Amino acid sequence: MSDFAQHLINGVAAGTIYALVALGYTMVYGVLKLINFAHGDVMMVGTFMGYAVAQKLGDEHQSTLWGALLIFLVAMVGCAVLGFLIERFAYRPLRDKPRLTALITAIGISFTLSYGFQLDIPPLPGAAPRAFPEIIIPKEWLIVGDRAVVIWNWQVISLSIAIGLMLMLQGLVYRTRFGRAMRAVSFDHRTAALMGIPVDRIIALTFMLGSALAAGAGILYAIKDTAIQPLMGLYVGLKAFVAAVIGGIGNVPGAVVGGLLLGLVEEFVVGYSSSSWRDAVAFGFLIVVLLVRPGGLFGSVTAEKV
Amino acid sequence: MSGALLQAAGVGIEFGGLRALHAFDLEIRQGDLKGLIGPNGAGKTTAFNLLTGVYVPTHGEIRVCGERVNGRQPHQINHLGLARTFQNIRLFRALTALDNVRVACLSDETPLFSRSRIDELRRRSAGRSPVAGAMDALNNYVDWWRALLLTPGFQEEEQEITRRAEELLKVMGLSQRRDEEARNLPYGEQRRLEIARALGTRPRVLLLDEPAAGMNTREKADLMVLIRQLRDQFELGILVIEHDMKLVMGICEDITVLDHGVTIASGAPERVRQDPKVIEAYLGDSYLAAHGMQVPPRSPTTETPAT
Amino acid sequence: MPAWLRGLVPVLIAIAVLAVLQLVLGEFPFFVYLASIVGVNVILAVSLNIVNGMTGQFSIGHAGFMAVGAYTAGKLSLLLKDVAIAGLPTMVSDQVQFVGTLLAGGVAAALCGFIVGLPSLRLRGDYLAIVTLGFGEIIRVIVQNLDMFGRALGLSGIPQTSSFFAVWFCVFLVVLVARRIVGSTHGRSLWAIREDEVAAEAMGVNTTGYKVRAFVISSFFAGVAGGLFAHFVPIINPGSFTFVKSIEVVVMVVLGGLGSTTGAIVAAIFLTLLPEALRTLFLQLGGLGAGASLAQKVDQIRMPVYGMLLVILMLVRPQGLFGTREVWDVLPRWWPGARKGIT
Repeated sequence: MSDFAQHLINGVAAGTIYALVALGYTMVYGVLKLINFAHGDVMMVGTFMGYAVAQKLGDEHQSTLWGALLIFLVAMVGCAVLGFLIERFAYRPLRDKPRLTALITAIGISFTLSYGFQLDIPPLPGAAPRAFPEIIIPKEWLIVGDRAVVIWNWQVISLSIAIGLMLMLQGLVYRTRFGRAMRAVSFDHRTAALMGIPVDRIIALTFMLGSALAAGAGILYAIKDTAIQPLMGLYVGLKAFVAAVIGGIGNVPGAVVGGLLLGLVEEFVVGYSSSSWRDAVAFGFLIVVLLVRPGGLFGSVTAEKV
Repeated sequence: MSGALLQAAGVGIEFGGLRALHAFDLEIRQGDLKGLIGPNGAGKTTAFNLLTGVYVPTHGEIRVCGERVNGRQPHQINHLGLARTFQNIRLFRALTALDNVRVACLSDETPLFSRSRIDELRRRSAGRSPVAGAMDALNNYVDWWRALLLTPGFQEEEQEITRRAEELLKVMGLSQRRDEEARNLPYGEQRRLEIARALGTRPRVLLLDEPAAGMNTREKADLMVLIRQLRDQFELGILVIEHDMKLVMGICEDITVLDHGVTIASGAPERVRQDPKVIEAYLGDSYLAAHGMQVPPRSPTTETPAT
Repeated sequence: MPAWLRGLVPVLIAIAVLAVLQLVLGEFPFFVYLASIVGVNVILAVSLNIVNGMTGQFSIGHAGFMAVGAYTAGKLSLLLKDVAIAGLPTMVSDQVQFVGTLLAGGVAAALCGFIVGLPSLRLRGDYLAIVTLGFGEIIRVIVQNLDMFGRALGLSGIPQTSSFFAVWFCVFLVVLVARRIVGSTHGRSLWAIREDEVAAEAMGVNTTGYKVRAFVISSFFAGVAGGLFAHFVPIINPGSFTFVKSIEVVVMVVLGGLGSTTGAIVAAIFLTLLPEALRTLFLQLGGLGAGASLAQKVDQIRMPVYGMLLVILMLVRPQGLFGTREVWDVLPRWWPGARKGIT
């Protein structure tokens, strides 16, 4: 029973991170109808930016509240800029080309970032994994029974931050003019343009927002998993994308549900069998969902207008 | 053949809460030349999409050559004898004119299992027979093998396909464009090519979606003659969606008028032209009032929103 | 030329030419190894081009099918290592076994292609990319967890029965298949699907069926490539069949031009030989110290360069080197293969 509870907590912790990244995927897919393969790698860049800032701050300052905030801020802003640049120079010129073209570009950017960061040429970090500094000094927050279930402070903080970010996004998408414009563009960008919506700007802002969220997720991931290396973006990114598809790509609450579900399923499968099956779980789960409900849990299969 | 080639009975479709088409009835027999008209958004292309299997009807029944085709795949419906052209030209742009037609001229060869056996299986299970599907697939795999080996039988079939395609190009006056990529053809010729391509599938019924769109007066006049000629030469039944009244009134023997997804009039061109409901749909009730005509009462089903 | 002969003549010519090359060049092991690596990549690229190029789908898990072929053929060869066919000289018996394992590998991969393709080709294009990617990963994880496939260490000791002739005859076969399919009604249907799937469906083409068939054939050859690979490298392990390998093949097809068999061949040869050439160059120039580390850098730098290459290609020349054209398009009219347009 305690095992179950522990797995539950770990699953939710991992799930919220997937959800944060999945939100970026789903938002970009909504406005551009593009799978941004490079999204996970943007997350990775954010994580390394946070790492660099933490190194600069040194042991003393990095674990203070202001230090941690600075780390988050730099990572998120940095990634927002990166997202903007990628959209502007790699995706925008291809907006009216067949989607396959943009998909190939996305893969290209993903590879450039992930394997580029692996190069042993300074300032690039190189392939060796690094330990992300402890910006939250771990303390046990809640112990149930005789250490049967342990909840750590950083898990609680991480979960709160993730939920906070998601709520902010929810508010943004459904209660602001920007959010309305974003949803309009995702329905039909030509009509939205005719209605006077600055489509280019909305798309750029969506990209920046998604990238910032990914950076936040990246820092949270680093807090959880400690070891970071340049290829982490590929795997987390793919799984987050799977989560977005499971929830129904383009559907914002779906991404959150998908992320949580994936985190839980992965944790339980690994918990009750062995960790070497971890990577196969996400894809297996995806295939099952796609077979049963091709539009994802909350999505709808939109018929093409003939 | 006495039976109707295409029958739609009470066909309707809903998208979410939206009734795009309601209680649509239509019958096409060999030799028919019928028209489907209505203001923009009336549901004409939706009707075409339903008839050709792109959408699945939520109400009613569609029969092609006597067989019920609700829910069948478009390519299966095409095999039963229904072909179409598209409102926005959908040619295979990078393929030559000849190849566009050749794609449609699929051979009837069935190296392993006979066509009649497969069709019979399908008919008995109302279109959903995995065994028939598997037989079709196996036929196809064997045919790919024959293509690979370049068997004499296969080479003959290829020549036959090419011959048929060239014949169709000649009928549509496109022979000199044979090796030209479809995207390089002038607009009018592209439209004619689409018709040639549709004819390649050897249909019994031909659905033409705005075949005259974007043509000048002379081209439209030529098209009118051509459509009648095709109907006679290929023994077809033809249904045309058009906005150009002169063309519709000129060649169609029977017209159905849609508005907001509902049939508001149907019959001979002269009668339809003078029907107040039709005039109102196109020109509005203020026009009627200005010309001293009575505004017809609203029938309950016209309350559905437009597509 | 009588009709039935037309199909056979190219095969006979190929056998003759390759046999001569084998006799002359088969004595140089380094050349054979290099030629085999290049050949395998050409098979992978040409087969992927059938799906990604001709049919316009987006499959990025080709390495998974290669792995299926490699492990199936390799494991079978290991099991049959000490078994010989009675009545045949050892060498012939070995080669017969070799061909048998290749076929088994190809069929296994084709079967996987069918299982993966049938459900996912019905979905939207982007989904196929993810599913094929996932499939590749699932294969990798399965192999890594099973003792019979050597887990992470892989399989070693597979009889090295491959040869220059074997690899390049398979190259010839896959090119022949691509060519003959393209020139037929089936190839035209695939192109139609690539150009406009809805219209193709309306013209009677069973689009899902055709996509699955293209996928199955493509996977078959990926499996054969894997089987060949297993028989000329000392060890096969999951690391040889990662997502990176899949993307390498995608880069080859994209660089060559989606839809051009010639392009796939040229790009595969170029992208396989270039890193090898650079590596050798650095080693020659720099000796074992600096040269070796530069050579290592070549491997590392390959991947981000491929990434940038894809991005730049899409911006500047999305049709790649050859677009959809083939080398036989520029042949004179009387040459038996010349044709107009794509198909």
